[in-house]
Amino acid sequence: MKRLGVLLAVAMVVSLATGPAGFGMPDTWIFVQLRLPRTLLAAIIGAGLGISGAAMQGVLRNGLADPGLLGISGCAALGSVIVYYWGISAYFAPALPLGGMAGAMLGAFALMHLAGRRPSVASLILGGLMLSSLAAALLSLALTLAPNPFALAEISLWLMGGLEDRSLLHVALAVPPILAGIAVLWRLAPGIDALALGEATAASLGFPAAKSLVLCGVGVALAVGPGCAVAGGIGFVGLMVPHLLRPFFGARPGALLAPSCLLGAGLVVCADVAARGLPLLVPTAAEPRLGVITALLGAPVLIAIARRGNL
Amino acid sequence: MLAMLAANPLAAGGVVSLNLCTDQWLVRLAPDRIAALTPLARDPSISAVAAGAAQFPMVRPDAEAVLRLKPDLVLVGAWGGLTTAAVLRARGVRVERIDDPQNFAGITATIAHIAEILGRPAQGLAINAAMQAALPQLRDASRQQVRAVIWQARGLTAGPGSLGDSVLRAAGYHNIGTGGTMSLEALITAQPDLVVVDEQPRFPSLATDLLRNPALQRLAVVALPPAWLTCGGPDAARAVARIARQ
Repeated sequence: MKRLGVLLAVAMVVSLATGPAGFGMPDTWIFVQLRLPRTLLAAIIGAGLGISGAAMQGVLRNGLADPGLLGISGCAALGSVIVYYWGISAYFAPALPLGGMAGAMLGAFALMHLAGRRPSVASLILGGLMLSSLAAALLSLALTLAPNPFALAEISLWLMGGLEDRSLLHVALAVPPILAGIAVLWRLAPGIDALALGEATAASLGFPAAKSLVLCGVGVALAVGPGCAVAGGIGFVGLMVPHLLRPFFGARPGALLAPSCLLGAGLVVCADVAARGLPLLVPTAAEPRLGVITALLGAPVLIAIARRGNL
Repeated sequence: MLAMLAANPLAAGGVVSLNLCTDQWLVRLAPDRIAALTPLARDPSISAVAAGAAQFPMVRPDAEAVLRLKPDLVLVGAWGGLTTAAVLRARGVRVERIDDPQNFAGITATIAHIAEILGRPAQGLAINAAMQAALPQLRDASRQQVRAVIWQARGLTAGPGSLGDSVLRAAGYHNIGTGGTMSLEALITAQPDLVVVDEQPRFPSLATDLLRNPALQRLAVVALPPAWLTCGGPDAARAVARIARQ
């Protein structure tokens, strides 16, 4: 845990020192208005994704559970796109994270309905695949119908998220609900541990599976939705973080929640540093998307999980 | 050929425009000859004559739709519409390709050229005279040291040789834009004396929200209607007059 905290702290310092203006301490204005919001958002969004992945894998007792892979992030992006491009969030800024949360909540409960309470790997993945394809299609449709001519070109920004040029307003909008979501998921730990012993045992211990599932859905919506609303979808973080931690923290699923929070935050901050650092090393027209970097990191982890058969 | 047409301004089939910039010329020079404009002409975020264009029929840049109107003349822009223009020409329709000029000398020549094609040389001269009157006379060479950038949606800048570059130079600024995109952090580090952005559209997009990031507060920012810098025409002179006054 301590090492994870140090990793996160170091990553955040490097992140604050990296930007298009070069490596090192920029002037105070750039530091406060551009780099600070970016670093804080990367950390909180990563924390929300990490703990969501750990909680979903625990509650569903399925190592492939992840808000991105199963379409919950896509639904959150859809909700955000609807409130954003029709100008609702321009009048009432909190509508943006609320739209993300509403989309994520709908997605989470649609997934539970599709896959059932104790889904097999196949039914969970198929349900999630269907949900994420549907969300991407509806996202494209919403952007086609949006009244701003730039909207359709922005689909990739929502499917593969990024954090360039976010402001302190985005921090204020996203941080409180994500913290609330993390708190909800954090308290699930005993319920998740009980579920590992079987549903009947868990119920006798006072943790009925249905209640844990609903709390998990609500917590994930809060922890993931606002992040998608301000940054777009950032995939694979929730999937890979618990797998990377299991060798060090043991298989007790409840014990993975807190470290997943820290490693998720550290991972997204590092990926965002890589996204910003690449144009400093290789001359590129634009930075690579943060969602692209996390996918490049996460896809090999997914392949390794699949090859080990450790689902 | 041109002289013949000028001497015999026919109104039978009228003129169809297949390009946003030629739409605007047509509305300004010969509204009575319009058979159809593109749907873009009505969009106030990109067309400087949106209100005036609303009363005219619209046609998509599609050969079949245009042929049904039996126009005497079809105006196409410098870019795009190549296949449509080829089909129309093959069917014997007169098609004129109009350049999109990127500097004020070119704009003056284009106005005269298109006014001639439309048989309205007097209106062309009047628009040219009004435009010259609107352009500020720059005598203070020291302003050339004042650095400015046109920073548009997605952080795209106007590079050397572009219409935006001509507008900045006519207003007495040194353009630091390259024609590529410039990140917000790079913009703030470059510290230009003036940043020209698009006015806020009615509906948001991530591309245009960038121009309203609070980090811009400490730079001198002036917002112009994006339509003024879309086509090389009299509105570019309005843009010059607006920013030269700053």
